[in-house]
Amino acid sequence: MSDSTSSTIQTMPGAANRSSGKLSALRNSAVGSILIAVFSVAVLLGLWEAFAIYYKVPAWLVPKPSDFLARLVTDADKIFYHALATSRTLLNGFALAILIAVPLALLITSVGALRRGLYPVIVFLNIMPKTVIGPILIIWFGIGPMVAALIVFLMCFFPILVDAMSGFGAIDKRLLYISRSMGANRWQTFWKIELPDAMPHIFSGMKIGIVKAIEGVIIAEFIASNSGLGFMIMQASGFMDMTLMFAGLIAAALVALVFNGGMSIVERILMPWKTT
Amino acid sequence: MPMNASPDVDAALSGSSIAGQAASIGASIQAKGLTKVYGSGQDAFHALGPIDLDIKPGEFVSLIGPSGCGKSTTLLLVSGLQPHSGGTVEVDGQKLTKPISEVGIVFQDHLLLDFRTAMKNVMLQQEIRGLDKQTMRERADMLFDRLGLKGAENRYPAQLSGGMRQRVSIARALVHNPSMLLMDEPFGALDAITRTQIRHDLEMLWLETRKTVLFITHSIEEAVGLSDRVLVMSKSPGTIVEEIRIDLPRPRPAHLGEYPEFAKYAQRIYEIFAKLGVYKF
Repeated sequence: MSDSTSSTIQTMPGAANRSSGKLSALRNSAVGSILIAVFSVAVLLGLWEAFAIYYKVPAWLVPKPSDFLARLVTDADKIFYHALATSRTLLNGFALAILIAVPLALLITSVGALRRGLYPVIVFLNIMPKTVIGPILIIWFGIGPMVAALIVFLMCFFPILVDAMSGFGAIDKRLLYISRSMGANRWQTFWKIELPDAMPHIFSGMKIGIVKAIEGVIIAEFIASNSGLGFMIMQASGFMDMTLMFAGLIAAALVALVFNGGMSIVERILMPWKTT
Repeated sequence: MPMNASPDVDAALSGSSIAGQAASIGASIQAKGLTKVYGSGQDAFHALGPIDLDIKPGEFVSLIGPSGCGKSTTLLLVSGLQPHSGGTVEVDGQKLTKPISEVGIVFQDHLLLDFRTAMKNVMLQQEIRGLDKQTMRERADMLFDRLGLKGAENRYPAQLSGGMRQRVSIARALVHNPSMLLMDEPFGALDAITRTQIRHDLEMLWLETRKTVLFITHSIEEAVGLSDRVLVMSKSPGTIVEEIRIDLPRPRPAHLGEYPEFAKYAQRIYEIFAKLGVYKF
């Protein structure tokens, strides 16, 4: 309370007006842009619907929005089941990538010989298309969500590793002197200093990673799974069930939206100083 | 000009909780023939020494010298954070073999953790050392008060000015009541006005607590303005070429330049630098 009064005293009245004006303009524009987005999507779907009806396009070729939107409702259970499976696969692969990439990055950056020895290997593995490993993994583990999760893992592992390495590498040596003078042990140094200090880097790796993971999970389920939206779409394709394929596509987009939104929440929790 | 703090003022102040619980008087630092060589063989770089140091408990000693003369290296050797290549270092009569923990360090950059508020940055000492939370919090509050940081407790470093960040950094170095404070150009990145104020605040805090301070600086004004003794170092590999005792009353005034006693000391250091070829006019 006292804070806000003191700040209004400090800022000039004109400035205060301008900033509140800006704020309402922002709110207006945020609401406005959502309205415009909803409106334009509605118009697009309406036009699509109209053309499909007018030219009598068969549903097995290009389904009408009303057809596949209806499938989202009628097949809600099935789609939800597969969306959940996709989410689980995505989360497993992504979490595994973080759990391995972050400590490995610390190990590599703190041991000079490892850094020189492993860097070329990492670069090579990073540029290699990850889906080619799919068939090999299928032979090793059989078709199932685990193989899809492993492909997701491979897709987001390297961006996280590389960014975490640059994060740990950028820590000021004198900060580590200070932590040593405090008598910090290895774990305390990692947990209280190195990890949070490298977090902005790690997080930007995670942001790239999640995009790759979302892309990868559907492809992985095409080739190597027996559940998930990718598998459902592939199965629907076998039955020429075009409306279900389109419904799956929309469900996949929604899953991506949820994960992207989740990342912004995680960012706020992990890096509170960036938002306050 | 104010006179030296009298013994009974000292005694009265050491009773306050900032001076801490009994044990912590300043440490003594002795070094003999201290050298540092980085690398080995062909690439070996002789960074420092040999130098001798004899710093009494509670003394404020500055090391002044040109860039790259090994001032910062001295600090790392004295704290045991870097192993020395030759000679000996003793803190309170104990030979150094590993980093000492009875120490607070302040560098030129604040080196605060972005993800912790000012208070949490200071309380990192408590967390890592496993000290009593309430006592440390009381000491931290006291230091925030003395250092003009009241109200900044819950701000992140990014929300503080350069001077405030450095003040938080000083609080972090003192909160655990160490016997020795090592400062490596702590005010080097600050503007002149902030620097003068923070110099005074540090002096007042030191008068209260009488930690042993080893203060590394480029600035003749800071060295003379703060120290009991100034050690002047030569160019790399640095050796101590002159020791100057600063007999000026404390606390020392802000605008030192106007006092002839101060100018005399500053002049001596300039002359030494000129003789060493640090300055060419």
